[in-house]
Amino acid sequence: MEAADLERALRPVLGDRLLGVEPFEGTAGRVRFRREGAVDLFRTARDTLLFGHLTMVGGIDWVDHREVVYVLWSDTARQYAILSADVPADDAHIETASAVWPSANWHEREAWELVDISFDHHPDLRHLLTPDGYVFHPLLRSFKLHEPEELEVKSRHV
Amino acid sequence: MSATPVSVPPAAKPAADAFRLEGELPMAGAPAVPMFEIETLRAKEFLPAAREALSALIKDQSENRVIGPVFNWARRNSLFPLHWGLACCAIEFAAGFGARWDAERFGVVPRSSPRQCDLMIVNGTVTWKVAHKLITLYEQMPEPKWVIAMGNCATGGGPFRTAYSVVPGVDKLVPVDIYIAGCPPRPEAMLDGILKLEELIRERKE
Repeated sequence: MEAADLERALRPVLGDRLLGVEPFEGTAGRVRFRREGAVDLFRTARDTLLFGHLTMVGGIDWVDHREVVYVLWSDTARQYAILSADVPADDAHIETASAVWPSANWHEREAWELVDISFDHHPDLRHLLTPDGYVFHPLLRSFKLHEPEELEVKSRHV
Repeated sequence: MSATPVSVPPAAKPAADAFRLEGELPMAGAPAVPMFEIETLRAKEFLPAAREALSALIKDQSENRVIGPVFNWARRNSLFPLHWGLACCAIEFAAGFGARWDAERFGVVPRSSPRQCDLMIVNGTVTWKVAHKLITLYEQMPEPKWVIAMGNCATGGGPFRTAYSVVPGVDKLVPVDIYIAGCPPRPEAMLDGILKLEELIRERKE
C-alpha cells in the first residue's frame, strides 16, 4: 500500500476534508486531514483499509498551531500509516479516536495534559501522568522550568 | 548434733535445727543460729537497701532510663523497612539484602505491608503523582517510625530537581531521619545509613 492507494481510498469519503497524502519513509504514507473529518477518517482507516491497531497518539506544539499525530498499524498489510491534523493553538480540540480504537484512551489523556489538546467526547479525560489539579502543560514550548519551591506551591494538592 | 551448750532458749532449738539455711551451715561445734534471728538480721540490712534501690529505679524510670533502653535495644536490632522500590536505588536496596551484603544480619528484614514496618527507606525519585500514596503508606506504619532518604533524588530531587513532576526532596512530605548521598548509593552506604539510624535510636529518650 502506498500514498496513492491511501488517497484513492480516502478521497471519496472525506472530500475536501482530506488535505493530502504524501509519502513518508517506512510507512504507507502520511495523511493530512482537517479535524472535521476525523471520525470518518478513523472509521474508514479501520474498516476499509484494515488499520486495526492504533500505535500512538501524540501532540506537537508548533507555537503558532498544534498538530495531533496518529500512528496506525495494519496486521494484514504489515504497514504503518500516519494521520495528522493541525489544530489552532487557541482552540485546540479534536474528536476522540477512542470510540474507534479503544487504545487511544490513555494516549489522548496524556496528550491532553502535556500538550493541552482537548479531545471531544472522550469517556474519561483525567490526568494520567501529572497529579490531579495540576495547572501546567509541561510539554508546551511556553512552559518554563520552575524553581522547585514555586512549583511545589502550585502543584501541591495532597 | 553435738552436746555443746547453746545460749538460746530451749524452746527455739528444734526449729533452728529443722530449718537451717542452705549455704550457711554452721561449722561443726558452732552454735546453731535460730531462723528468726537470721531473718531479722537480713531484714535489717535488706529493706533499707531495697528501698534505696527501688527509689533510684523509680527515679530512673521516671526519666525513662530503665525500660526505655531495653525497648530501644529491641527496636534498633529489629528494624523492618517497607519493601517498595521507586527507581534505580531500589536495585541497590535489593542487593543490600542479597547474599553479598546481607543486611539481615543487623535484624533488618524488609516487609511487604506498611503495618508491619517501622522504617521507610525512600529509594528513588518521588513524583507529585505518587506523593499522596507515599504519605498514605507512611501514615499506615505504626509508631515509632523512621524514614531514610536514600539517594540524591529522595534527598533533594537529584538531577530531576527542576523537572515539572518531581518532588524536590522527600522531606517536603514526611520527616526524614537519615539522608544517604549517592546516585545510587552502594549497598555499603545503605547499611551505614541504617547503622547511623541505630545510633539515633540508641539515644532516643521518649
